[in-house]
Formats: sequence, structure tokens, C-alpha cells
Amino acid sequence: MNTPTIVWIALPLFIGFSSYLLPRSNRFFALGMACVSMAYGLWHIVAPTPLTIELIDNFGVTLVVDGLSGYFVLTNALVTAAVVLYCWQKNKSKFFYTQTVILHGSVNAVFICADLISLYVALEVIGIAAFLLMAYPRSDRAIWVGLRYLFVSNTAMLFYLMGAALVYQTTGVFAFTAVQNAPPAAIALLMIGLFTKGGIFVSGLWLPLTHAEADTPVSAMLSGAVVKTGVFPLVRLALMADNVAPAVQLFSMGTAFLGVTYAIFEKDTKRMLASSTISQMGFVLANPAVAGFYALTHGLAKAVLFLLAGNLPSRKFQMLQRTPMARWQWLAVTIAALSISGMPLLSGFEAKALTVQDLPPTITWVMNLAALGTAIAFAKFIFLPFQLPDKSEKRSAQVGFGCAIGLLLGGLVLASGQHLEIYSLSKVLMALATLATGWAIYGLWLRRGLPKLPTGIERFEHLIGGMSLMLLLLLGMVAA
Amino acid sequence: MFELCSLASIPLFTDRLLFMTTPPPLTLPMTAQAILAAWVFATVLIGFVGIIWKRNLIMKILSMDVMSTGVIAFYVLVAARGGFLAPIVTGTQAGAYADPVPQAVILTAIVIGFSIQALMLVGVMKLSRDNPTLETSEIEQSNTP
Repeated sequence: MNTPTIVWIALPLFIGFSSYLLPRSNRFFALGMACVSMAYGLWHIVAPTPLTIELIDNFGVTLVVDGLSGYFVLTNALVTAAVVLYCWQKNKSKFFYTQTVILHGSVNAVFICADLISLYVALEVIGIAAFLLMAYPRSDRAIWVGLRYLFVSNTAMLFYLMGAALVYQTTGVFAFTAVQNAPPAAIALLMIGLFTKGGIFVSGLWLPLTHAEADTPVSAMLSGAVVKTGVFPLVRLALMADNVAPAVQLFSMGTAFLGVTYAIFEKDTKRMLASSTISQMGFVLANPAVAGFYALTHGLAKAVLFLLAGNLPSRKFQMLQRTPMARWQWLAVTIAALSISGMPLLSGFEAKALTVQDLPPTITWVMNLAALGTAIAFAKFIFLPFQLPDKSEKRSAQVGFGCAIGLLLGGLVLASGQHLEIYSLSKVLMALATLATGWAIYGLWLRRGLPKLPTGIERFEHLIGGMSLMLLLLLGMVAA
Repeated sequence: MFELCSLASIPLFTDRLLFMTTPPPLTLPMTAQAILAAWVFATVLIGFVGIIWKRNLIMKILSMDVMSTGVIAFYVLVAARGGFLAPIVTGTQAGAYADPVPQAVILTAIVIGFSIQALMLVGVMKLSRDNPTLETSEIEQSNTP
């Protein structure tokens, strides 16, 4: 049991570097790696026998693989595979595939680690790989956006390191289980790092610009899989430590609301999708017990939407309302958007229903309101015009793109049969009513245009300053 | 640079200044620990404020380095709680040993920290071609849609 796991976790680094030696086959290697991860993730979802690997004389350095990790690993694998397929005919450089595979491997590492230091290393490797992918176009804007991301995340990780030191000082180990007995200051410091990485509440305001300005496949990777590396440890900690869970739950509501507010007001397709990612991370955190399934459905749908949004004629909704897109594109966008909005028969509905199932009534209502906001925001995509494609259009150039979308949507549809027991008349009616209300609000009122939300708060200094405020807030909450 | 200085300086500092009169140094007294911790936290805070306060991008990156120096010093301090001799097997117990685990951990973090800084400085070099003053607000304004 241990050997496959160790081989699987080391393989991407090996492949990443050796694909420089075999430049012609690096896309095959990348796709192969994603398939291996897919098999590994599925294996742990289907046969959830938790596996724990501990370093000898370990100081708490532990790897844990269970069903929860399985879902996150599967999400990462499907998104990576789709991105590689999308880039298949685009003549991407060796450098792109190397970074993609290393990013994939380090994201996987986050999903199986159960101690603070392995997590730190994995998160920092992710930061570097993501920066390199973001800054690769080497325009001033790409470099600035990447630099801003790296700066914010590194500063947050310094706070995280302080927290890890405090945990070690009190308990003598770095394992997640030790956080239960850690002082409030340690928990607040750890959480500020993870909140910033995972785009939670105000700490996540770096996310819209970063995810929107990155290259199309990179955005899909970032929003589909990478952002979940901040959320996954929070889920693990919330399941393990009683002193973390209440703060996580409270902030999940704040995150869902903040993100969806931005998404409703946004006029740019990619920024709207990125804002919605913030809000969806709130949903993932709301009920840690079913976080894996929610993350899977969100990752697949969001990757479809980012890949398609990058290929539409414009990024402005106003322009898109005048220039119809191809019918198959509209169909794919609509399926993904409906899934995120929680349409019955799609897996997004099951994920949402599972999430709100065991929550206290007040939180359920807050989450339902956020779901209404999601329906309003995604109505912007669903009610875009479309047309039949020209016969003369070259089809062959889009085979890889089609395969990527097919893979993601296939995953989304296949995932929807998993939790049939959740279907009940009241839940289906509730979901349909939410959708109908959202669309009605959009059609009757919001379609005429909304004021632009100020983006001043997303400035670099405000992001860093916001971190200190969040730290104080968290300290107050955890100590209380 | 900063990291290496701070890593070496704490044991030396305590060795020479605080324990001149007490023959074999065993452990740090609680007050010394508290004072050192206060300095360490002050360093972290100064670095953090510098990130916000300084307008030049290079200065911001240097401020982040100051902050990370503080964090590294904190790990060294945590390691020195029970003693600060290097744990080397010689057959005889020479005194109270420093805890090697936090030091090993922070060594990893130092390497990661300076590689990230190198990467950021390369980015700054590229940006400086079109923004010679490197004022962050200017760079931000011209590169935000």
C-alpha cells in the first residue's frame, strides 16, 4: 500500500524534469501523469481504506490518504488532463509542460499531507510553479500579476510559519492533530496563511485579478485545482480540531456572500468566474464532511467555464450579448453554469444538497441565499445568444479543445449519479425555485446593467494591510 | 545574507552577553527568552509594516526579507529553549542541547525563501525596464485593467 503512494507522489517531479530531455513526448508524459493520478484518486474514493504513512522518529510528519483526499486528487487529475488536452495542438513549450506537471504533483502533495511542514513546502512549491506559469508570457502585466500573487502568498506563508513554530513549541510535533492543543495565536497565524492561499473572505481578494489575467489554461488550473490547496488543509483541520471548526464555518458564510456579490456586479467574464470561485470556496468549507464532492463538482465546472470564456470573442458580457457564440460552446457553458447554480440532475445539485443537509438552520438559509446569488450571477452566461456554426469553420484545430471540454463535462455528468439518496421532492422544488427566482431577478432588473464595484480594495497595499486586519479578527475569534 | 547572520547571531549573542559569568551555559533563563522573543516579534512587525510603508518595489521585497529574518530567528529561539549546544555525539554529554528539529525545518524554509526572493527580483528587473522608478503604485496603475 505504501509503495504505490510514494511512487505516485514522486512521479510528477521525475516526469517534470525528465520531460526536458524528451521534448517531443512531454505532452504524452503530462497526460499520462494526470491519468495515473486519476486512477489513484478513484481508487481511494471507491475503496476508502485510510492509509497513514509516518516518517520514522517523525515529529508528527505524516501523510494521510483517504476518501477526502481521493476526491481532491481526482479533481486535480481531471483538470490537469483537460488542460493538457486543451493545449495539445497549441505548440506549448517544454517549460509549460514541465511547470504544469510539477504544479500537478505539488497540488497532489497538499492533498495527502497531514502535517504543517510538508504542507508548507508543498504550498511554496505551488506558489513558485504557479508564478512561473503566470509570468511566462513575460509581458509587464503578466509579470506584475505574478509578482503580486507571489508576494501576497509568501507574506501569508511567513505568518503560517510563525504559527507552525508556535504549535511545535507547545506540543513538540508538527502533525495536524496537534493543532487541537495549540494556543489561539498559533491557530490564528496558521489560518491567515491558509485563508490567503485558499481565497477565503477578504484574504481572497487577490484572486479575481490573478485568475482573470492569467492565460486561459493557467486560469483553469488555478481556479479548478490550485486554489483548493488552501481550502483542503482547512477542511482537514476543521474535521480534526474543535477550536478551528467554528471560525471556519463562520468565514465560509462570509466568503460565499462576498464572492457572490462581486460575481453579480462583475461585467467581465473571467473576473466574474474568479469572483465566483471565492464564493464557491465558501461552499466547500461550509460542510467539511462533504467538502471533497463539492470541490470535485466545482473544479470540473469552473475549468470548463474558464477554458470556454478564454475562447469567446470578447471578455465583456455587454459585447457577448451582441456577438453570438457557437451553439456547442453555448451548450457546454450552460451545462457547467447550471451545475454550479445547482440544477437538479447535474452533480452541482447533489453537492449543494449534501452541503446544506446537516447544517444548522440559520447557516442553511445563508447558504441558500448565496446559492440564489450564484444563480443570478451565472444567468449572465446562460442567457447569452448563440448561433449555428459556419460550415466552413475548421473543425480539426479544435479537437483537443473539444476533448478537454468533453472530459470535464463527462466527469460532471458521471459524478451526478453518486448520491441518489439525496433527491427528494422538497429539495428539487427548492433548487428549481432558487434558479427561477435568480433568473427572474436577473431578467427583470439586473440585465439593464449595474454600477461598477470599486476595485480599490484589490490594490497591493490594501491586500497586505487587509491581512493584518484579518489576523486581528481571527485572533479575537479564536481566543473568544 | 540576512538569514545566515540571524541564524548564527542568537547563540553567540546569548553566549557572550548573558552568560559571561555563569560557566557552562546550559539553558536560557525565562526572562532572556522573553526579551529575545520580543525582539524577534518586533523584527517581524517592522518587516510587515515596511511591506506596506515602502513605495519602491525593491524596498518592499527587502522588507519581506526582514520579516522572514524575524520568522527564522523565532525558529532558532524555539530551538534554543532547552539549551543551545549543537547536538553532536561525542560520548560525553557536554550540556543541554538545542532542539535540532526546528532548525532543520527552518533550513528548508530559508532555501525556499531565498529562491522566491531571487525569482521576485528577476521579475523586478524585467519590470524596471519600463518603470525605472519602480514605484509600486505606478506599476500597479499601468498594469491593472
